[in-house]
Amino acid sequence: MKNRTARRISAFLSNFIIIVLGVGMLYPVVWLIAASFKESNTIFSDPGLIPKSFTLQNYIQGWKGIGIIGFGTFFKNSFIICTLCVIANVIFCSLTAYAFARLRFAGKNFWFAVMMVTLMLPSHVTTIPRYIIFRSFGWIDTFLPLVVPKFFATDAFFIFLLVQFMRSLPKELDESAMIDGCGKFGIYTRIVMPLTTPALITTVLFTFLWTWDDFFNQLLYLNSPSKYTVPMGLRLFVDSSGMSSWGPMFAMSVLSLVPCFILFFSLQKYFVQGIITTGIKG
Amino acid sequence: MNRKARKKAIRENLSSYAFLVPWLLGFFIFTLYPMIYSLYLSFTDFNMLQPPKWIGLRNYFVMFVGNDQFPRDERFLNSLFVTFRFVFISVPLKLVFALAVAMLMNQRLRLIPFYRTLYYIPTLLGGSVAIAVLWRRLFAGDGVLNAILSGVFNVNNPPAWISNPKYALYTLILLSVWQFGSPMIIFLAGLKQIPQEYYEAASVDGAGKTRQFFAITLPSLSPIIFFNLIMQMISAFQSFTQAYIVSGGQGGPLDSTMFYSLYLYLKGFAFSEMGYASAMAWVLLVIIAALTALAFKGSGSLVSYGSGE
Amino acid sequence: MKRIGLVLFTLLMSATIVFAQSGSVTLRWAYWGSESRIKRSQQAIDLFMAANPGIAVNPEISGGTGDHFNKVDTQIAGGSGPDIVQMGGNISDYVKRGVLLPLDKYVGSVLNTSVIDPSAIESGTIDGHLYGVSTGVTMPALVYNKSLLQRVGAPLPKVSMTYPEFRAYLVSIKSRLPAGVYPMQDIGALSSNSTPFGYWTRYNGTPLYNAETNMTAVTSAAAQKYLELFKDYRDNGLVPPADIASGFAETNADTSMIIAGKAAIGFIWTNQLNGYQAATTDELGLIEFPGAAATKALWQAPSQFYTVNKYSKNPELAVKFINFLVNSPEAAKVLGNDRGASASSTARAAGSTNVNDQKVLEYLNSAGPHSSKETTHLPNDTEFNSTLFLIYQRVAFGQISPATGGQQIYDLITRLIKK
Repeated sequence: MKNRTARRISAFLSNFIIIVLGVGMLYPVVWLIAASFKESNTIFSDPGLIPKSFTLQNYIQGWKGIGIIGFGTFFKNSFIICTLCVIANVIFCSLTAYAFARLRFAGKNFWFAVMMVTLMLPSHVTTIPRYIIFRSFGWIDTFLPLVVPKFFATDAFFIFLLVQFMRSLPKELDESAMIDGCGKFGIYTRIVMPLTTPALITTVLFTFLWTWDDFFNQLLYLNSPSKYTVPMGLRLFVDSSGMSSWGPMFAMSVLSLVPCFILFFSLQKYFVQGIITTGIKG
Repeated sequence: MNRKARKKAIRENLSSYAFLVPWLLGFFIFTLYPMIYSLYLSFTDFNMLQPPKWIGLRNYFVMFVGNDQFPRDERFLNSLFVTFRFVFISVPLKLVFALAVAMLMNQRLRLIPFYRTLYYIPTLLGGSVAIAVLWRRLFAGDGVLNAILSGVFNVNNPPAWISNPKYALYTLILLSVWQFGSPMIIFLAGLKQIPQEYYEAASVDGAGKTRQFFAITLPSLSPIIFFNLIMQMISAFQSFTQAYIVSGGQGGPLDSTMFYSLYLYLKGFAFSEMGYASAMAWVLLVIIAALTALAFKGSGSLVSYGSGE
Repeated sequence: MKRIGLVLFTLLMSATIVFAQSGSVTLRWAYWGSESRIKRSQQAIDLFMAANPGIAVNPEISGGTGDHFNKVDTQIAGGSGPDIVQMGGNISDYVKRGVLLPLDKYVGSVLNTSVIDPSAIESGTIDGHLYGVSTGVTMPALVYNKSLLQRVGAPLPKVSMTYPEFRAYLVSIKSRLPAGVYPMQDIGALSSNSTPFGYWTRYNGTPLYNAETNMTAVTSAAAQKYLELFKDYRDNGLVPPADIASGFAETNADTSMIIAGKAAIGFIWTNQLNGYQAATTDELGLIEFPGAAATKALWQAPSQFYTVNKYSKNPELAVKFINFLVNSPEAAKVLGNDRGASASSTARAAGSTNVNDQKVLEYLNSAGPHSSKETTHLPNDTEFNSTLFLIYQRVAFGQISPATGGQQIYDLITRLIKK
């Protein structure tokens, strides 16, 4: 009897704390959404939460984009780039991580240290040499500089992430698979990959979000307006010297959150499924 | 080693290296050359529009020593201190919050997916202009926080947090901690990978919740905690976007929010001193590498990889 | 395996889309702007391309000057800059570093300068060569919130005042403004603070920079007077205290004290009036910086320049395009006043239906006689702006005295000239 009440109270408390903190988290988003429904000339002069004059104009105008290209195109471009990057990272970062986490080879510690060091150099100083490289390939004004490096596992963050997750898997699984005649690649596809699903899903989510927001590289390599992406489009609404369309910018910012939101929400169930390790005693 | 064993070892090495080929290619084509080029630039005076001019160690000299002809760069040292303070306060706080909330989210409560999304929203907003606007609204002299402080708690004359050199950095620390969604997700993924059987067995043995946390959760999670610690530290050292948008690109007031990466960006792009910026980048790399190496050394006893390694 | 195939296929597709271009010449035109400018510019491009088959123009647009110059600088450093580049006041830096093409040899043949205002040509002439064609004119001004003043029953400011009159005016409206609203923004604490400072040095008879002698006339005493002027305003509540002021960098409407309704008077450039007015429901007006009538310390600045990249593969076609933008009546009609009030006095006389444009024209007409030739920008202008900002804040927060601040400003100027 006591146990059930205790459990109910703890559930209630948990819910309560989560909700209270959650409201704090939400305020900025609510403000953003409210601003997107306000007229442009009241957003900053009347910064309250409830719009005094409600309008849908921002969304309509915002969707038309920057006059020559609409936001539909920006969304399409962002989607293409992000999807390609996700596929690349999931495959190639996991391959590399598997090697570091599970395989034996000479020079492993050296290359692992090298990989870690690639994370530590601020990217601002490598923009010019990278630009030179991509220019020599003739890739300027294409999506290629934004996507192709990912196919070569240049996102060391995810390599390190997957290494840590893979290392916590029991080695006995590998050993029993090898006894069954599985080669290295077989172990990779049949055992390691399925069991690191939460980490792979994390890779999908973060790759998508961070590529979506990668403004500076997109600005640098995409010259033609028809190739511009969502962050570039948002920046074009606000001109430092003249007219600014704040209302449409906020409206499109809200819209830009939607795919990320949907992706996050739909990946939830992969965080719920744990891994089944029946048959293995820890 | 006899010949047969050596041949086996070579074959073993080669088949392992096969997995590394994409990364190795990527490293040599896309990463190594830019890194070496930027190291070269750090010994030059380069305004981007004209070819780099070799000046030897002068950039590093100006950063740390300085003399009459080339006075020491006080703004550089200031940016280093600001960044160190930011890293060593925000990272532990962020990790604690991330873990605490992840554990809260790991329960089978109703609407959990909804809550999880809620807590991830601040991170989703990332470095958008909206965040900067919001943060100013909250922490300005006549902002929301002060309205609450003076209205509800009767505080007299609360400071203008975001524009006061003493407090501005703390608003940015708060912003960073508020965006704890990413490490939280990673912790969640890690928590999910801990087999339920461990907890069930412990309950059967009579262990309470706290005991279970310290005996099962923490050790199983330790590789992930280590990962988050390292990555949050690296990313905090390189933190740029939030400081840029909240301070309007100035690092003010009085350079109190002049993060290292922000100063690097200003020096490189705005002041056209790309050579100096490259030198700053390499100094940061050395600092981060040293701290990371220390962490790896120290983790030996603390981080357990289960029955893996 | 299938997935890898799909991926390669997608790569191939995007590559083919990219490389499937017709065999025409493409000019790359980099500029900054937002929706209205983009639309207008595209119309001008379409007109040009219709009249010149075989030449395509690809616009490369950035939202603000920061993004624009970051991108252009990186591209030039990487060896593939755009052909036509929009420039601002920093044109002399780019001339000094030898990346802009002198346009002299095209004048008369491809570029018709006879119909352009001579002062517009002069402003783009550096070291005796023409490097950029001005797109229009803008002037520094003080903007005031007419509706706010009317609401509190305060008098409206006169367009031209002396410094003592101006101070008295600020005092007179201070008593009427509610708590938390200040008569004037602390214009020394803005992210573009070098302009008010530049005005002060001209008013004081000690201009910031002389290109021919490569020297400054500013002394530490002059800089000190500037800091003391604003310290006096600050100590008497005419401008906000340092910690309030630094919350408003005035980079845009979202960081603007005027838009937030917390100050009655602030500083903008005339070509920003449209943007500012669009961000508030209050009515705004323009007045001159104090003391301009007697000293002619104001100036007309070219709002932007069209320039050509020295490494452009099609320089003559690039100049042809610029000539079209600046001189052709069809282009002028679609571009309008978007890049500054036109440099041509006839266009200005034609007036405008936009009420903000009218206010700007009125201001230009009254402040025109109170101006003289613009002082050349200090070398390393961006760094000057940023470091001056820091020194000013140190004085504002009471960390150093105006005397020390004056000395630091003088040292900064001399260091940047030598750099």
